Amino acid sequence: MTDSATAKQDRPALGSAGDAPTFWGRLVGWGPYRLLMQLATASPRRQFLILMIFPVLWVLTQHLGPMLYMIRVSLTDAYPVAPGVEQSFTLEHYAKFFTNSIFWQPFFRTLTFAATFTFCTLIITYPVAYFLARHVSRRNQMRFLLLLLIPFWVGEIVRTYAIMILLGNTGAVNLALQTLGLVDRPIPFMYTSFSMGMGIVYLTALYMLLPLYSALEKLPQSMNEAAADLGAGAWTRFRRISLPLTIEGISSGCTLVFLISTGFYATPVLLGGPSTTVFAETIAGFFHVAGDEWPTGAAFATIMFMAALVITFAFQKLMNALRKGEAK
Amino acid sequence: MTKLIFNRRRFLGTAAVSGAALASPAYLRRGFAQSGGEVNIWTYNDFVPDAFRRQFEADTGIKVNIRLVDDQGKQFNLLAAEQPNPTVDIMTVAGHRFLQFINSELLAPLDTDRLSNWGSINPTFSESDWATIDGNKWGAPILSGAEVLAYNSEIVSEEEALTWDTLFSDKYSGQTAYIIQDMMSIIMLKMGYDGNMVAYMDDPDEAARIVNEAKQFLIDHKPLVRKYYDSGAEFQQMMVNQDIVLGHAWNGPAAALINDGFPVGMTIPREGSYGFVYTFNVANNAPNADNAYTFLDALLASPEIGAAMTKASGFISTYKGADQYLNELERKSTSFPEEQLANLQFFRAEANEMKYGLVDPAVEEIKAA
Amino acid sequence: MNDRPELFRGNRILLGCIYWAFVLYVFVPLILMVLMGFKDSRFIGFPIRSWTLDWYVGVFANTEVLSTFGYSIAIAVLSTLISVFVGTWIAVLLESRKFTGRPVIFGLTVLPALVPGIISAIAFRIYARWLGIEPGMGAIIWSHAVHNVPFVVLVVMARLSTLPKSQMEAARDLGADPLVAFVRITLPYLVPAILGASIFCLLLSFDDFVRSFFLGGYEPTLPVLIFAMLRSGMSPEINAIATVALIMTAGIGIWAERFTRRMKKDT
Repeated sequence: MTDSATAKQDRPALGSAGDAPTFWGRLVGWGPYRLLMQLATASPRRQFLILMIFPVLWVLTQHLGPMLYMIRVSLTDAYPVAPGVEQSFTLEHYAKFFTNSIFWQPFFRTLTFAATFTFCTLIITYPVAYFLARHVSRRNQMRFLLLLLIPFWVGEIVRTYAIMILLGNTGAVNLALQTLGLVDRPIPFMYTSFSMGMGIVYLTALYMLLPLYSALEKLPQSMNEAAADLGAGAWTRFRRISLPLTIEGISSGCTLVFLISTGFYATPVLLGGPSTTVFAETIAGFFHVAGDEWPTGAAFATIMFMAALVITFAFQKLMNALRKGEAK
Repeated sequence: MTKLIFNRRRFLGTAAVSGAALASPAYLRRGFAQSGGEVNIWTYNDFVPDAFRRQFEADTGIKVNIRLVDDQGKQFNLLAAEQPNPTVDIMTVAGHRFLQFINSELLAPLDTDRLSNWGSINPTFSESDWATIDGNKWGAPILSGAEVLAYNSEIVSEEEALTWDTLFSDKYSGQTAYIIQDMMSIIMLKMGYDGNMVAYMDDPDEAARIVNEAKQFLIDHKPLVRKYYDSGAEFQQMMVNQDIVLGHAWNGPAAALINDGFPVGMTIPREGSYGFVYTFNVANNAPNADNAYTFLDALLASPEIGAAMTKASGFISTYKGADQYLNELERKSTSFPEEQLANLQFFRAEANEMKYGLVDPAVEEIKAA
Repeated sequence: MNDRPELFRGNRILLGCIYWAFVLYVFVPLILMVLMGFKDSRFIGFPIRSWTLDWYVGVFANTEVLSTFGYSIAIAVLSTLISVFVGTWIAVLLESRKFTGRPVIFGLTVLPALVPGIISAIAFRIYARWLGIEPGMGAIIWSHAVHNVPFVVLVVMARLSTLPKSQMEAARDLGADPLVAFVRITLPYLVPAILGASIFCLLLSFDDFVRSFFLGGYEPTLPVLIFAMLRSGMSPEINAIATVALIMTAGIGIWAERFTRRMKKDT
């Protein structure tokens, strides 16, 4: 794994003449392969079509298919259909969301939470990724990174219960505080936005850490040194060099974390309080409690993912604009 | 049937039973099994005693495939997605959830004539008003539960726990928890109404008014509650961590705490409460319906099997005479004084469509308040 | 690495502290989890009055838990292979050039990541029936693979966008056709991204409950098993299972890393 980063330097020569023919060299020289390649790459247009056909088929049948089905369900009056009953189409489930203000609160709360937690995760993991990429020797980088990945292999539920054991009234933190004599009565950490945030950042940190690390790892050290030579302080160096050059990683990390956060169900339900209901919980309610409310659940889910899509799109546009602005 | 051994160490009793009941290995899966030699069951962890399962397999040659589920809604969704060709023969539905399954034609009526041991069920459960719908029986009652007020007996007195009011008192502000859907029914009962809403089936306006009143009560008392929870495991963890000192709970999870030596007590408060019954049901179009009946009949054969289910789950056995196979603590944790039992009534399903049409939005409003 | 360490020392110490604080944050719950597996009670939590090894012994005595673990790992690995293959292909297409409909393809690509778990699970279940896929291992792998593709695409695209164009042009000049150029130039450059994406996919699959539940048969994956066991309380047994699973996963991970390193040396 570690040598992948240096792969750029020791790139092998491409079937170059003079050497003993490599596998690739032989392949390129092999008649049938040549013919096939000539057919495939006869024109840039054909080459592109061949590249395109599989992804397009995949996203249409595998990604869009289930979703279209869900949207279809969201438009029906009842699902699953009772035998012998005529199914009809309606928009009432969408209307239900827009006419009932009680659903708006969890909806906007989810978006705000997701955005806030994404930001928190970014703030927390950026220095960690920065330390890993810039201040740890190459040989140790992978080890340090893998060390951080270990806890993420424990399932969401088990980890969430571990956080309860950590933050509960008789939990490890309160136990420590009381032993040290810092507090008399346990502090009720659990079932607040704090405990929920703690659990969610735990879940999302990894998805931020990896893109940030891979972006920072590519950053040439020489630029920082040159800037230091020119008298730039630590903050200026960070703002003018590291930040702009890692905007790619920040953008993809934030997108990932935001998308994942909007769908969280178990952690907010287990760690949140009475007033932290998220939209996923509302949606799940339509599938858990009453069977004939699948269409409403489907409609709400459609609304949620449309909203998340729009926000992600806007965010990507913003990031692109930032990148272009910095490039000037 | 061979004498079943139940007095093993606690570790064996819980870990091994659940351990062996949990995963049916690949060679048991549908499609690989011998012709006609299997029965597929969806049920909760600890509901089918492992010792019984092995004995049954040995006696009949029918393989028992168990798929563990964790709530009613998922069973419904899964079965609805599988019909008309389900993979399941027997599933576990709570009595008051029957209608939803029946209306979607997911269950087959139970032919009690094919169960020679039907009579070993306590008639309180087998002949109760909720048990017969459209002139048919739909499931064999196996375990029963109640909505109780559970409390930390080192902090809360039993006297205080005899009324639901304590749950909403300033004294225990921030130290209580309840399942909000269930609490709606209890609050209606506490206010003197029919929490099943069967009495208001012809008067939707009155029903709406009552639900509104109960909703308002819970909204007014929202600042006092620590947590609206969903699962018994959450409740147990809150009690263990002392995040709460009292709360509404199902008796099963509370009994498990008592049996493990935690200072927990439970009551059916004087304002009354609701009970529910878990039943084993035969799925509509079940692939192995005959084996399903064989299994059910064997399961009902002895009160000892009923006692084993109670020990593992903490819920109350529906079998006649099951309590004689329980030890002192187990008996205590799964029974209530006569005068408290008198306050208990069963959930009923007749008005569910109207009731949950009103209660579900009310729950959303309480959460959003 | 640093030619002039004195210049960056202050930062380094500060950042080091943050790093180790973060390690503490992610490891404390983990340590608690391992610890609780030794508690002699049916419930986890403090105080621990007596200790026992029974829960851990029980995990190893129970071959069904171990087979569940193997089942989950197999699903994770197979679905990851599919996701990485498909995801990389889509990423290459999306980064190849601007074309009409590119935003549409991108939107469709990230779609599965945007749908809440329960919805996607039910949608997959109904769609699977429509396609005639029987519930079981194949169906779970399929749903995990589809669900994880967007994550691969996002990570690989980020890396691909930084690939110096000159390298590809040089390869073309040397007479390499697109396929060879891709395998010899692009793919090695993508290795870190693909490895990172694989870790995502393995984790997402290994930890997935809803899709595994709805698309599974009578054999549970690890999270499905844990969810069902949770019905009768969060017992130390679950902690013991999770700990053993963690150790075995780490073991497989280390072995795989060693193995690939040796393979590289040999060639």
